[in-house]
Amino acid sequence: MAISSLHATTSLHSPCTTNTSFRQNQVIFFTTRSSRRGSTRHGGARTFQVSCSVDKPVVIGLAADSGCGKSTFMRRLTSVFGGAAEPPKGGNPDSNTLISDTTTVICLDDYHSLDRTGRKEKGVTALDPRANDFDLMYEQVKAIKEGKAIEKPIYNHVTGLLDPPELIQPPKIFVIEGLHPMFDERVRDLLDFSIYLDISDEVKFAWKIQRDMAERGHSLESIKASIEARKPDFDAFIDPQKQYADAVIEVLPTQLIPDDNEGKVLRVKLIMKEGVKNFNPVYLFDEGSSITWVPCGRKLTCSYPGIKFAYGPDTYFGNEVSVLEMDGQFDRLDELIYVESHLSNLSTKFYGEVTQQMLKHADFPGSNNGTGLFQTIIGLKIRDLYEQIIAERAGAPTEAAKV
Amino acid sequence: MASTLTNVGLSTPAALQARPQLAGAGRVGAVVAFARRARFAAVRASGPSTPPDISDKMSESIDKAKEACAEDNASGECAAAWDEVEELSAAASHARDKLKENSDPLEKYCKENPETDECRTYDN
Repeated sequence: MAISSLHATTSLHSPCTTNTSFRQNQVIFFTTRSSRRGSTRHGGARTFQVSCSVDKPVVIGLAADSGCGKSTFMRRLTSVFGGAAEPPKGGNPDSNTLISDTTTVICLDDYHSLDRTGRKEKGVTALDPRANDFDLMYEQVKAIKEGKAIEKPIYNHVTGLLDPPELIQPPKIFVIEGLHPMFDERVRDLLDFSIYLDISDEVKFAWKIQRDMAERGHSLESIKASIEARKPDFDAFIDPQKQYADAVIEVLPTQLIPDDNEGKVLRVKLIMKEGVKNFNPVYLFDEGSSITWVPCGRKLTCSYPGIKFAYGPDTYFGNEVSVLEMDGQFDRLDELIYVESHLSNLSTKFYGEVTQQMLKHADFPGSNNGTGLFQTIIGLKIRDLYEQIIAERAGAPTEAAKV
Repeated sequence: MASTLTNVGLSTPAALQARPQLAGAGRVGAVVAFARRARFAAVRASGPSTPPDISDKMSESIDKAKEACAEDNASGECAAAWDEVEELSAAASHARDKLKENSDPLEKYCKENPETDECRTYDN
């Protein structure tokens, strides 16, 4: 439990909420702000209130197909910032939004222009751009980015209808997750950072079996039929977005077990674009070299099938990238700590933070493999990016003058 | 930091769900190899089951999708019908997660009131 108390000191608390237990570490950047504003109009605690409504959110996009781990990733991300994400209190119980102290995550399904009946009549899937209102998506993401509240529609996944809208206030970090965060160029240009979860067909099939087999009516055939029927639209409209992503998490079957097709052991690649502002890729041992690393040996004993890492430069859709790959899974905690201590540029605030985060959510899927590890690392990278952007803004007088 | 951590095991049941030898009680063990209905029905009892309204809708949508694809499985109608199945399957999974999260009243209370005495946790 030492872990969770340590955690609290690194979290970023929203200045919009009244918090009675301010700790020094949490207030660092409010103090910067208040000294800047304090001299002009306000002083003390009131400044927090004002700067809260003036803050312009950092906007993050997360793209993936349905059932490919977006919610788990979001829970890991909000956890890095401290505090759990909850649905808006007192709102529509079927709202897709998650709010934490710093972060608001919205689901882009809310911008469906055709409801379930409409899609059925026209014979289009939710993956099809024709079923989505990109004009409204753009307008609202832009408004949030400018610090304005929005009345966002709610797509009800149970009824398949569009419910009355909900009021969304601009948070510190605004995440848009869904099928098309990078599809529309205008929306894409609003993103400060973008991530694509690329799940290979084999793994997608295995995951959907895990998710759906227990459901009445489902069978292997129905799961397969559903994936196959959606695939043409997926390939046409969702998959191409990965070329725009700043980070791609690719999930593949393991190569450690010959002919493994059960999707239990995974090989996961973290593809990080080079030259992205405020984002410095993680590396293994020597930045820019090509390395294969099997941590299991004399110092660390691993159980079957072991762990294998690879790192090196590559090109991805014509962009220079760094790729970090992990095959296998962690069985014991010392394996995770050992691996963490050999990775550089993790953007952690203290030794062991990656391990701590993984441990804190050991019940989330993927906590013992590369999906959990890389999602956690990207969470830390987003925190770092956010802090850099805030520091930059605090130092830029033109931005500061704008109220 | 590291010394505190090394004493703690990473092995919660869910974290280990991907390990075949331990997954007998979990949902995950039964991937392709044991794809028989009976087996899955037994496994299903370990977690909360889907609320009946979503469950009914889903099995209905599967039947409709099979129907829609009978004539032409490359048609837009067929894809839209299976897309509806996917949407409801995801909704069912989220509903199950929500039920699981809310299944312990103390956990739920402590999430909202972490500062209260009964929700206090200690370092040692």
